[in-house]
Amino acid sequence: MSKFKSLLLVLVLLLAVSIASAQDIAYSSNQSDPEPKRVDEMVVEMWNEANPDMQVVHDQVGHEDFKQAIRAFLTADVTPDVLTWFAGNRANFFIDRGLIADFSSAWNQEGFGDAFSPGFQSLATNYLDGEGAYFLPGSYYWWAMYYRPSLFEQAGIESTPETWDEFLAACDALNEAGITPITIGTKFRWTAAGWFDYLNMRQNGPQFHLDLMLLKESYEDERVMETFARWQELFDHNCFIEDASAYSWQEAVTFMANGEAAMYLMGDFIRDEARANFPELLEDLDYFQFPVINPDVPIGEDAPTDGWFLGANSANPEGALAFIEFLGSAEVQQVFLNELGRLPTRTDVDLSGVEDPLTIRGIELVQSADQVLQFYDRDTTPEMADAGMDAMMEFWDNPEDIEEILEILEEDRVRIAEEQADSE
Amino acid sequence: MTSLAQYNSKNKNSTKRSINWTPYLFLAIPLVIYFMWIIAPTFYTFFLSFTNWDGIETPQVYGIDIENRSLFYNYERLLRPNEDFQLFSEDEPELFKFDRDFETAIGNNVRWLIIFITVPTTAGLGLAMIFNADMKGGRWFKISFYAPLVLSFPVIGLIWAWVYNPNPNLGLINSLLFSMGMPEDNLPGWLSDADMAIYAIIFAAVWRQVGYVMILYLAGLKNIDPTLVDAAQVDGANRWQLFRNVIFPLLAPVTTIIVVISIIDSLRSFDLVQVMTRGNNGTEVLANYMYMEAFNNYKMGFGASIAVFLFLISLVFIGFYLFRTYKEEVEY
Repeated sequence: MSKFKSLLLVLVLLLAVSIASAQDIAYSSNQSDPEPKRVDEMVVEMWNEANPDMQVVHDQVGHEDFKQAIRAFLTADVTPDVLTWFAGNRANFFIDRGLIADFSSAWNQEGFGDAFSPGFQSLATNYLDGEGAYFLPGSYYWWAMYYRPSLFEQAGIESTPETWDEFLAACDALNEAGITPITIGTKFRWTAAGWFDYLNMRQNGPQFHLDLMLLKESYEDERVMETFARWQELFDHNCFIEDASAYSWQEAVTFMANGEAAMYLMGDFIRDEARANFPELLEDLDYFQFPVINPDVPIGEDAPTDGWFLGANSANPEGALAFIEFLGSAEVQQVFLNELGRLPTRTDVDLSGVEDPLTIRGIELVQSADQVLQFYDRDTTPEMADAGMDAMMEFWDNPEDIEEILEILEEDRVRIAEEQADSE
Repeated sequence: MTSLAQYNSKNKNSTKRSINWTPYLFLAIPLVIYFMWIIAPTFYTFFLSFTNWDGIETPQVYGIDIENRSLFYNYERLLRPNEDFQLFSEDEPELFKFDRDFETAIGNNVRWLIIFITVPTTAGLGLAMIFNADMKGGRWFKISFYAPLVLSFPVIGLIWAWVYNPNPNLGLINSLLFSMGMPEDNLPGWLSDADMAIYAIIFAAVWRQVGYVMILYLAGLKNIDPTLVDAAQVDGANRWQLFRNVIFPLLAPVTTIIVVISIIDSLRSFDLVQVMTRGNNGTEVLANYMYMEAFNNYKMGFGASIAVFLFLISLVFIGFYLFRTYKEEVEY
């Protein structure tokens, strides 16, 4: 009965936090990787220094565990005041159930909501109907194909691949030079979902991909089959490292750091990992946009946005609101930009200080995209994401079974959509 | 309780029939706690298994609140009864098609169970027999076999994930194999190899269990009356006969306890799977499947139906054990 144990633990923790003082602000955060954690603590410190009479009590939970703990946090009698979370479908689950406070009154005041760029203003609202203000989009990062220029040079690749054929040719050249083209750690599965996002967006366009995420398209559609055919080509060209499922995403960075593998499809937080553990890799790390597969479809990019929301049953709603306004301020976004390279969602953050060419190109990459999505497991429902990622893992092991895998996935999609309709 | 109280008050003056309340008072507190934390949640789980509860909203019962579904919707999802099933038909011989993860999980729990009641029990008994005799450094060996037991399962999972790391520069086993000259392409993938992963995890569990079984048997051996052993030796029994006909039968109560513990441990296996593979690569077990559905996918109702299955399977073994114990108690 470990579920009761973990629930109990969460309740005890919450009790401890709520007893601490009604005047404190309880902040639960999922920033557990070393670099984001440091900046997260820095921001809390900034607040605590400026507000000695209303301190923030900072509670940190591991990134993966937070996804499970948050439901217990939000259903307790007294919830944390401010919590970290993701934009998109993942927030909607809680908005639908009235567990997230609507702060539109503050958001609609002059100088707050309107200071954000329009694309991000819409992320603040309910994902499905565009109403209210539930989510404070704090910062975002881009996904791209990270690579080591020195290894490309060693393999005789002169320019970064822009088309699918060039990309496969680059894989062959790297293999020829004795370098594994792509590293990936799929122990937690979502890294593979990144590949599915990009292959499907480049093959079929971002709108089809989004509709698939929203359970509106069939997984047995010819177009999904095509996406997996591209993936199969990567297997045929021996693009990936062996035994990927034995490694976490961080462990797989090791292969890049020691020169065994050349590329990694990853979010910009790969540079946090390099900064913390592989400083020498940071010197030899660049990225390029995921190559074009079908030139007729618009370009979609994943730019996951992290941010904060307010628990509906907060003990200190005023404090919570004050703190989230602080988190949404240009001052804090500047800190996230300068310290972590996370891109600001406000339009009034000073970008002139940004000298890092990778960050400048990252902003361009996202802004020039025709459509910006969040990420596989943020765009679809948790259950569909679980079934989908299981299917990808199975495809990885037994690619020849793809038809059967998609058949089962389609059964899951139909069932999940029906069950969603049940509870409405 | 009220009837007891009435009965008691009626017979106030009769010293013969007066009831001693003290034990009931002492029992009341643990009983209330036991009811609140064990009995009530168990029955609530049964109830939840018929609902679509997401852990937040009021649970809706299938077949009642959700009219277009059968009451057993969650169970149907797990078992997938074959609608075309016909007795003695060759085309549709299966009664159930089973949810794929559920099928994998049951298979893995059975593997775990079989390995757990055979391997650690035999190995632990062997070690206990060896270390029961006084030998030089025996205490040191005993401690080193027992040491894994002080580690929690997640720690053991992390250690073994490193031992099994397939990279010839990082993994303990693969770097050994590599240095002995095995070509890199032939190195086993361990946890990333779907045919091997579950056995690799079970082995890590066995590694811990052996020391535990050894300690239990050592304690059992200390309780054996030495005069019986002496008598057998005087009668000319050789070492095997001594073990087979005297010591092993006397250890029977310990063996029963060990088998029961092994069965329970194998059914509740969760921590190692969660830490080492999260149930991927064909290593799903029932407890992990239940956890992932309930807490990761927010499907508490469906998770509860897996919990009920786990409960029913456990009940078979626990019932058998209780039946045996009661029977023995009567004999005494």
